Parts: sequence; C-alpha cells; structure tokens
Amino acid sequence: MIKFENITKKFKDKKVLKDISFEINKGHLVAFIGASGCGKTTTLKMINRLIKPSSGKIFINGEDIEKKDVIALRRNMGYVIQQTGLFPHMTIKENIEIIPKVEKKNKDEITKRTMELMEMVGLNAKEFLNRYPTELSGGQQQRVGVARAFATDPEIILMDEPFSALDPITRVGLQEELIDLQSHLKKTIVFVTHDMDEAIKIADMICIMKDGEILQYDTPENILKNPVNEFVSEFVGKNRIWTSPEFIKAEDIMLDSPVSCLSNLTLNRCLEKMRSNKVDSLMVVESKTKKLLGIINAKKIQETLDRSKEVNEVMETNLISVEPNDSIIDILQLVEDNNVSTVPVLDKNKRLLGLITKSSLVTTLSQQFIDTEEGMLS
Amino acid sequence: MNFIEYVIVNKEQILSLTLEHIKLTIIAVGFAILLGVPLGILISYVKQLNKPILGVANIIQAIPSMALLGFAIPFLGIGTLPAIVMVILYSLLPIIKNTFTGIQNINAQTIEAAKGIGLTKFQILFRVQIPLALPVIMAGVRISSVTAVGLMTMAAFIGAGGLGFLVFSGIRTVNNLQILAGAIPACLLALFVDFIVGIVEKLVTPISLQKINGSKSKRIQIRKIEKVILSFTALVVAIIFGFSAILNGTTDQKVIRIASKDFTEQHILAHMFSDLIEDRTDILVDRKINLGGTQVCFSALKSDDIDMYIDYSGTAYGDTLNYPPISDMEKVYDTVKSDFKEQFNIEVLKQIGFNNTYVLAVNKDTAKKYQLETISDLAKVGTKLRAGTTLEFLNREDGIPGLIKHYNFNFKDTTGLDGSPRYIALNNNETDVVDAFSTDGLLKKFDLVTLKDDKNFFPPYYAIPLVRGEVIELYPEIVPIIEELGSILNDEIMIELNYKVDELQMEPDVVAKEFLTENGLLEE
Repeated sequence: MIKFENITKKFKDKKVLKDISFEINKGHLVAFIGASGCGKTTTLKMINRLIKPSSGKIFINGEDIEKKDVIALRRNMGYVIQQTGLFPHMTIKENIEIIPKVEKKNKDEITKRTMELMEMVGLNAKEFLNRYPTELSGGQQQRVGVARAFATDPEIILMDEPFSALDPITRVGLQEELIDLQSHLKKTIVFVTHDMDEAIKIADMICIMKDGEILQYDTPENILKNPVNEFVSEFVGKNRIWTSPEFIKAEDIMLDSPVSCLSNLTLNRCLEKMRSNKVDSLMVVESKTKKLLGIINAKKIQETLDRSKEVNEVMETNLISVEPNDSIIDILQLVEDNNVSTVPVLDKNKRLLGLITKSSLVTTLSQQFIDTEEGMLS
Repeated sequence: MNFIEYVIVNKEQILSLTLEHIKLTIIAVGFAILLGVPLGILISYVKQLNKPILGVANIIQAIPSMALLGFAIPFLGIGTLPAIVMVILYSLLPIIKNTFTGIQNINAQTIEAAKGIGLTKFQILFRVQIPLALPVIMAGVRISSVTAVGLMTMAAFIGAGGLGFLVFSGIRTVNNLQILAGAIPACLLALFVDFIVGIVEKLVTPISLQKINGSKSKRIQIRKIEKVILSFTALVVAIIFGFSAILNGTTDQKVIRIASKDFTEQHILAHMFSDLIEDRTDILVDRKINLGGTQVCFSALKSDDIDMYIDYSGTAYGDTLNYPPISDMEKVYDTVKSDFKEQFNIEVLKQIGFNNTYVLAVNKDTAKKYQLETISDLAKVGTKLRAGTTLEFLNREDGIPGLIKHYNFNFKDTTGLDGSPRYIALNNNETDVVDAFSTDGLLKKFDLVTLKDDKNFFPPYYAIPLVRGEVIELYPEIVPIIEELGSILNDEIMIELNYKVDELQMEPDVVAKEFLTENGLLEE
C-alpha cells in the first residue's frame, strides 16, 4: 500500500537516508526502529510530506504522493506524535474536531463521530470533552491524540514514538489497546519507536534502520531468531526473545538427532545403545517412515527381568508429544501437567523430528542467565 | 486656589482635553496595532526581513520624540496628523517585537502537529499561532498603549490638543496648578488604560494557559465580570467617537485658522483678533493657541496649515529673512512686507502700534551690585555673569551672537532656557541675565530691572499681522477689522494685558474678551 522507491535524503551534506526501498502492506502495523539519527522519523515524515526526499519516489496505492494535494494527503492520514501535539488552547472536543470542522462537515455527524472516538480510546466523553489538554494526564492526552488521528477515519496512521514519553505502566496499557484496536480496524500503521520490546509486541513487520539504511525488514519472529548481521543481533539483544517466549518454538530448542532404535531391538541391545550414547531413553521408530512408535527408558528396562524381549513389547506407547511449532510455554505447561521428562517433537504424520528433555529445557532456560558457548537458540 | 478648586473651575476644559487625548491615543494605538501585528507576523515567516524591520523600529524608538515631531512638520504639517503619526511610530516597536516573539516561542512540535494533521498555512496562523501568541502580543500592546498616553502629551506642542496643552501652558505661565491639571489626568488615564488593556490581555489568554488561581468555576466568573467591564468601556469609547464625529460634521461654514506663538502676549492677541473677526463676520475662527515658536508658526503659515498669526517686524526681518539687524523701523517693515509677498504670498498687514522689543533683564540685586543701567554697563562686567536665555535668542542674529559682537563683550557662560523657567532660574540665582520682551508681564511679576539698549542694537519689533495671500482674497472683509484693532493697541495696553495673565493668573481668552468688551469693540 505504501511503497518507497530509492529514497535518499540529504540534510546539507549529510546523507540521512541512503537509497532505501521497501513496501508496507495494507492492514499491517510496521515498526521502524533504530538508534537516534538512523533516519526512522525522517522516513515517517516523508509519508505525509513534512519532509521532502532529495531523490526517489513514494507511492500510496500506486499514486505518487508528490502529485497529490498535500493538504488532502495529510487530512487522509492520522498523525500522532510524542508529547501529543495537542493544541493547548483548545478543549479536547475542539482538538478532536478540528479537521472535520475545517472540512465543514455536518455538525451532528461531527458530534456523533467524536463520541465514537472517545469510546474507542476509552475516555469518558462527558468528563473529558470540555477539559483542556493541560488538565489531562500523559496517558489520557495520548489517547486524545489517537482519537484525533482517527477522526477522519483514515486508512493510514502515522505514529512517531507516541508512547515514549509515558510511564511504563501506561505505556503497556496503551500498547495493548492499540493491538486490540488494530485487530478490529486493521489500519495500515507506520510506527516509529526506539523500544525493541514495543516493536516486537505490536508489529506485524519490523524495519531495523541504521545510518539511513534498512538492515532488516522482517517479521518479529525472524528478527529475533535470524538476525541478519551482528549489529542487528546486538541491537535486538541475545535475550530479547525471552520477553516474547511465545516465539520460542519446539523446533528451536529440540535435540535434532535423538537416539532412536527399531522396534525389534532387544532390551539388552537397547541398554547397550543407551550406555554408549549416554542417554537414558530411546525413541522407537519405524524404519522407513521414521514414525514414532514408542519410547523406552532405562528405568523400565531395569524393571524388566527378561532382557531378551523386543522393545516393542515393553515400550511406552501412550505418548505426550508436541509439534515443531508449539511454543516453549506450551511445552513447559505440558511437562508440568503430565510430569514427563521426555517430549518428542513430531510432525503431522507422527514422524519423529526431535526431542525435548527436562535437561535440555533447563539448558535452554538457563541461556538467559548464563553465557553458554553453544546455546540451543544460536 | 488649591488644586481641587482649580479643577472644578476648569472642569469643562479639562474634560474636553481629556476626551481629545483619549481619541488621539486610541487612533494612534489602533493604527499601531493594525500595522505592527501584521508586520510582526510577516517577519516571523520571512526570516530575512527580521533584522531590517526590527532595526528600523529600533532606530525610530531611539530618536527623541521632540525631534521626530519637529522633523515631521514640514512633511505632515501641524496638528493631529503628525502627533498621531509620531505616536504610531513609537508604539510600533513593542508591538512588532512582541508579535514576533509570541509566534517564535510557540512550541515547534505543536506547529508540526498542526501541519501534519493537514491544516493549511492560513489555518495554522489563525487557529493555532495567533491564539497562542495573543497573550504576548497583548503584553506589547499594553506597553505601547500606556506609553502612548504619555507621549500624546507632546501633541500639544504642535497644536494637536490633548492634556499636554495644560502642561505646556502651565509651564509657560509658571502656573503649577495648570501643569498638574494636565499631568494628573494624563497619569490617571495611563493607569486606566493599563487596567483595561490588562483585562483584555487576560481575556485573550486561553483559560488553559493562565496561572490557576482558585477553582475553574471562579475563574470563569471573574472572566464574565471582566468581559462586562470591557464591553462597558468599549461602549463609552464608541460614544465619545460618535459624539465628536457629529460635532465635526461638515458644513459650509467659513473657517479661518489663527495661530499664536508660545507666550502670553501671543495668546491674548490671537484671542482678541479671533473674537473680533467672529463677532463682525460670519467666519468661524479655529484657534491654534500655543502652536510653537517662530519657526513652527511660520512653517505652518507657509504650508497652509494656518491662515494667520501675529509676528514681529524685527523677527521677520532678522530671523526669518536673515538680514543683519538694523534699527530703521520703516525700512524693516517695508522690506518684510515686500519680501513676504514676493517669496511666500504672505500679506503683511498694517503694523500694530506696539514695539515688543527684546530687552535684557537682571534682578534688583545684580543691578545694584554692578551698577547696571544700560547694556554697556553690563558689557563691562559681562565675564562675571551667566546668561540664561531662550533658545531662539541664543541662536538669532538679533540675539546673543549679534549682541556680544555689537557691544564687544562676552558672558561667563550661556544657557538655553525656554519660557518661564528662565525667570525661575533668575530668581534662584542660577542665572544672572535673561532675555525678555519689553511688554512681558513677568518682568513686573518678578520685579526685574531692564537694561537700556544704549547702543541701539535691537531692531524694532513692531507687531505685524501675517495672513496668507489666498485667505485675503477669499475673505477680504477681515482686513479692516484686523487693522482697526491693530491701531488701538499700544505698549502700555499690552503690558497691562500681559500682567493680568502672568501675575493675576487670568486666562488669556478672558482677558482678551474683557478688553474688547470694555472698549466697546464687540457689536453683539
């Protein structure tokens, strides 16, 4: 929906944006993040033409925005900034209604819309409409800012670090409300922030910028798991993913080559195999399909007197398993609820892909705190 | 008589002058706002104009107000126009500067937000910038308004009227009560203006940006009261303007403008001639009393701002036409008459029968100490004495410069002191010798000794009516009237009339009327 084509911006002699190109899909919330001076705010301000590119073109729905009337362009976009930018000499009502009023819309419609907007941002209309911005808290002001941005029901909303000046509690609250709003309205939102947690939490796509260039433009999950270079991984932080544990999946933390055996192996042989591989259980799989048939652990063998039996007679077949895409939270819950110590990872066809054990879980979890040379999540 | 009594006696005059003062001030400040605010907005948008415009306003501010006034006369004439223009110029700087500052100081983020949500430049200016800058702009207007009230007293200096008239008049006649009668109302007016504009300042500050003093509802109440006060004041002002507009309605009325210089005799003369003309014809006289010195009056006559005033032959000859002084009365008169007609189309009517020549005066003690009876006596001890004379006298060829050449001596030092302050200085022994007019009432009042011009330095100063040629053509009937009065006046009469004003504190117009009445000159 929004397309940047070879955009460069020079301020005096400094190149603030270096030939960047990207596309934002309709209905996506894209977060632009980077250190101060990386060009993220400049990028945002080019969308509503507050800043003019030195070269390159920007398209919205296929139209070159330079060719459009700038006032109409801006009025069809929401614009929310840090410190709100509410007009201090106008009441909340006047602030929200200013553009519709200037467009000479019908009075009743305006009032109706205002009430809708106040409800949308969770502010009591009666209490707040006739107050002035200075009488409101930061969080309340920011809600009004959002309401004002939505007043003309725009398709695109631009948000420039809107929550940065708020205390953490309010910030989290507003982030969650934004996510909720977005799930209903599905607007195209361009969101500038310097808070990685915030970006991961709310964005559909994240664009990491440095010195005027885009380093990685990807889903939050990919950025967490597959940072494109050292800078990105440093920027993201090794342990960032732990704040969004839902992204940690079974396939990320499983042992990929669990020790397995065929179903006709004798218990004695199994025990030998366990010893030589230093494991205390074996996965029993079908030879061709690699389908998991059962699990045998050392304890069970030791309980059995006749070690010449085949493993398929003794193995545990009532299995708790997970799929590769299940998150670590689900796995931990599973382990907790069922008191198992080994959880195989199976695909849809019950093929064995990997194994998660209690000890491998401990190793994974301890990565947050202890520097291991080779982590599960590297 | 004390101050309260004086005010009560003169209450109509004080009131009318106050109203005049208010009118002039409002017009001046009004225009200053109309000019200054847009200029202030302009320079906040066009950065390059910032320095030049503020620079010019600064320079204007730095020029002494009197100088600006004097400078304006050849271009703008006399009266209300130059006075208003001057006050407008002086009011510009605070208004421009404050408008500029007010707009500059608006949070840049707010402006960017305004742009970003799609307001046009005009909308941003009128809906965001001006409302937010208004408190600061009003502060500038407030400063300008209060200053304007004080400055407007200068307006009297060029005949524009207002309370300054009383101040200048009182200085001239050493009448402290009159000075106060002008100064105190002006002061009260300034305070009142400050109060009213202060209310406006508060009302234009958005409630949200005011310092919170008490609950919101209380603030709203106070605002209501303030609005009432303001509306009432506005109503009163409108009435004042409306009234004077009606009174100044255009008619086919014949009018001539007679001016006087800035001393007592001139005022009496102007009133006498004016009264007589009004009595004997259907012409109305617009009296511009206390217009200024010789220069101002002559310029005004030349530039068609006034129609007539009384000058003195010696002054016209030596000062205006710049001839070296001579003592032949007839030659002086003839030369002046022909030169003025030729060069300026000014008619010099028949000479009036008194010679108001310059004299040097000292107080009784000095005269005794140095045995002074003539100027030659003075010349002998000149270097021991200080002269405090009018500025005119200090600079004219028929004044100090010519005098010390003629009598071949020098003063210890010379100071320029206009009007009656020089008599006061003489009294307080801060100066020893002053210049005076031979018919000066203040000579009698301060009991001074005049020194005889034994070497006949001073030329004759016979009073001569100067009238613009065109006016004579328009209203030839005034000529015999003027000459009739002129033939009656003489030295003794003038001294007597001057004394009545200077010592007995009578008003010049009263003295004039009395004289005409007593001498049966008035027909009605």
